[in-house]
Amino acid sequence: MLGLVSLSSNVTRRNFLKTSAGAGAGLVLPFHLSAKRFAHATSGSSASNSFSPSAWLELSTTGDLKIWCGKSEMGQGVFTALPMIVAEELSCDWRRVQVVQADLDEKFGDQLTGGSGSVRTSYDSLRKAGAAARELLLGAASARWHVARSECHAENGFIVHTATQRKLTYEQLLDAASALQPQANPGLKIPSEFVLVGKPTRRTDTKLKITGAAKFGLDTRLPGMLIASVERSPVYGGTPLGFNADEVKSAPHVRDVFELESAHLTHQFGETSGPGSRNYSCAGVAVVADSTWAAMQARKLLKVEWNEPPSASESTLSIRERMHHNASEPGTVIRSDGDFDKAYAAAAKKIEAVYELPFLAHATMEPGNCTAHFHDGSCELWAPTQIPGAAAESVASALGIPRERVKVHVTFIGGGFGRRLIQDYAVEAALISRDAGAPVQVVWSREDDLRHDFYRPAACHILQAGLDEQGRLSSWRHRGSSPSIETFYNGTGISPGAAAQVDSLDFPALFIPNFRLEFSVAECGMPLGYWRSVDASGNQFVLSSFFDEAAQAAGRDAVEFLLAAFGPARKIPVGNGETLDVGRRRKVVELAAEKSAWHKSLTAGRGRGIAVAFGWGSYVAQVAEVTWDAKNGNLRIDRVVCAVDCGTAINPLGVQAQMEGAINFGLAQALKSAVTISAGRVEQRNFNDYEVLRLSDAPPVIEVYIVPSRERPGGCGEVGVPAAAPAVANATFAATGKRIRRLPIRAADLLSG
Amino acid sequence: MAISFTLNGKSQSVDVSPDMPLLWVLRDTLNMTGTKFGCGMALCGACTVHINGEATRSCITPISSVAGKKVTTIEGLSAAGSHPVQRAGLEEDVPQCGYCQSGQIMSAVALLSKKPNPTDADIDDAMSGNICRCGTYQRIRKAIHRAASMAGKAHSAA
Repeated sequence: MLGLVSLSSNVTRRNFLKTSAGAGAGLVLPFHLSAKRFAHATSGSSASNSFSPSAWLELSTTGDLKIWCGKSEMGQGVFTALPMIVAEELSCDWRRVQVVQADLDEKFGDQLTGGSGSVRTSYDSLRKAGAAARELLLGAASARWHVARSECHAENGFIVHTATQRKLTYEQLLDAASALQPQANPGLKIPSEFVLVGKPTRRTDTKLKITGAAKFGLDTRLPGMLIASVERSPVYGGTPLGFNADEVKSAPHVRDVFELESAHLTHQFGETSGPGSRNYSCAGVAVVADSTWAAMQARKLLKVEWNEPPSASESTLSIRERMHHNASEPGTVIRSDGDFDKAYAAAAKKIEAVYELPFLAHATMEPGNCTAHFHDGSCELWAPTQIPGAAAESVASALGIPRERVKVHVTFIGGGFGRRLIQDYAVEAALISRDAGAPVQVVWSREDDLRHDFYRPAACHILQAGLDEQGRLSSWRHRGSSPSIETFYNGTGISPGAAAQVDSLDFPALFIPNFRLEFSVAECGMPLGYWRSVDASGNQFVLSSFFDEAAQAAGRDAVEFLLAAFGPARKIPVGNGETLDVGRRRKVVELAAEKSAWHKSLTAGRGRGIAVAFGWGSYVAQVAEVTWDAKNGNLRIDRVVCAVDCGTAINPLGVQAQMEGAINFGLAQALKSAVTISAGRVEQRNFNDYEVLRLSDAPPVIEVYIVPSRERPGGCGEVGVPAAAPAVANATFAATGKRIRRLPIRAADLLSG
Repeated sequence: MAISFTLNGKSQSVDVSPDMPLLWVLRDTLNMTGTKFGCGMALCGACTVHINGEATRSCITPISSVAGKKVTTIEGLSAAGSHPVQRAGLEEDVPQCGYCQSGQIMSAVALLSKKPNPTDADIDDAMSGNICRCGTYQRIRKAIHRAASMAGKAHSAA
């Protein structure tokens, strides 16, 4: 299937998405080159007035330059960073670039936006696209001047004959360039030649977003469009037994009321959803009306009798008990180095702790929605989706039509964080459009969004560690238990190792001689999904906090303890031809410590904590400073200092924004958010009971320091999240003497007693 | 029954149920989608507009209560994003996904109209009703200070 990333058999989805393996071998990188000119409907010009050697760019005689963004823009900045890569090699005038969102089309290759992979997986192909176009222009100019190609260079939208400084604009060369054959492997710039990549560059979509002109999925408007508001089964997997259709149909402006069947979604990453997989859209009752308000109001009149699945007996407590029970027993061995039992028994000092994490909701600001028009056996979608290909696949499957008959327009996304990887909203819109016989926009309320999410799994982790006489970690055992995202989407036939929600390469693996990591799946009825940084979002809270406990037990400074555990800068082979770069890990820790003045003492009631996160080809260390105001029972985050090594930073302003945003996202987890379950259903309704970070909670200062690097680009979308909560938790311990072992941090955890 | 009000400086009349919130009149009846839906319970601020200059959550404001009043939405705030708060937002590269920005900007403008030189505590109070899940809070704060100083310079130059 075109657009699929091919994975080697040993690389799990988690490892692909997290490790630098995703950037290299084994990827299909479609790079579509054609000497044909693409006639773009929007350009309104004939083929001879435009130059479009590939799908990625179109230059017209007026000087208008369009560059397509092949990934979904959800705030992470691909709408800026990806065109910058093309523009760099093209050597055009960046100020004249107009960025166009790509709809689903195979000419754009893999349009999956997730796993912090957009820059990593597009870097090479976009560079080639820009370079190929530049070479055609150089070829055209050198032919016109009757000089060698090597005597010319491209600069800021001009081809220049270097010796004489004769110039031609790109527009003047369109016709001639269009007649030439593009190269499959054009020469690329060397990094020291970059004039745009690596420079702080303002976003290309800001004007649209500050004027209200940016169109999100919910802003789609079509002639004759109806709105659907859906009452979904309160317990995931339930179905409606009966409802008062006639009464609701008679409400003002209501067009129809009917059952919406649950659809088994196709696997969002193109893998197989085997037996036992539970990735279904919710069953429910759809109320279709002329307007959003009418649909929402009419839905309040619905009385539905539900058939509830067995998971209706589950609760936060029952799930917690199951996870705790599992983590208290031996689990599937994910990693075992040395001999934990022997070393632990001989330890000079032992520590042990139980860590817990709740389910979390994505709570994107734009609630779920999709607009679909099914007619004549085809379906057109306007979707705020992270995977337009998966939307087409799922909709085609649900409607029973060929995938080629599904067209997907990608809108701006009002927050993704992994929620828009799941295509339930697209399938709902398509099915309702079919049954209503009209274009339909399905609008999720905030209550729907919080109650019918695909949640970050809750977890329980039990850790033991032993220190030797010199205060070094000699043994470490981590037993984790949680529901499994992999089992949810791939089915119960996968191996226990594949189902595990822990990573065998997460620090401190490889740095403690007697190390054991075990995992045991705790099944439950909750729907599960990918929440920005996925397993690392909870695991790093556990690992960086427990590591801090070890430092404390050893009586050693946390930074010194970390660096001592790393040992000297070196590269450690970790299989699949990959290496773990200890030097890059050390560097971010040292940088964060330096910039936060780690060794400078703080007054009473204040504390600093450090945490790390390594993954997606990038390296992060964060130091948080907090003040505990015991009198008012108030924990204040004063500052977070973040050091990040993401290899080549395409846009340092974008990297900085991603770190700031990710830290705030992680602080919401640290301080505010939790999903609780009662009778198998989510208890939270809206932002009054599912709290998120507000401006007054956020630290006034977040400092981001980017390590200068020419290494391959690493991912920046998620790596800033995992260290935020443990940095704050460790700082809180330093300020209060109270260890935080569950999130969110509650004042009750800190008050004396 | 027709309800008349002024919208972005122009007379507007709509014939809808009097309890329909202004948010949905704007987004559905008038196809002005700049004002956003985020929660429907005045908890997130995405729907913030100005009514007679006051920052108001349009999701819980019935259209009947708007009769005869002046409504300003993000679309009517300025010509082409030229308001100091918008210009500051551009200069500070504030938005990420941008979905909360209309509401953030309208709240910030209302704050500055009352407190041209707000303190950080003033900003906390005025802006904590506007949620941003992408986490642009530090830049929002910086942009508000920047807009205040831009507007201050404009006044002193006038």
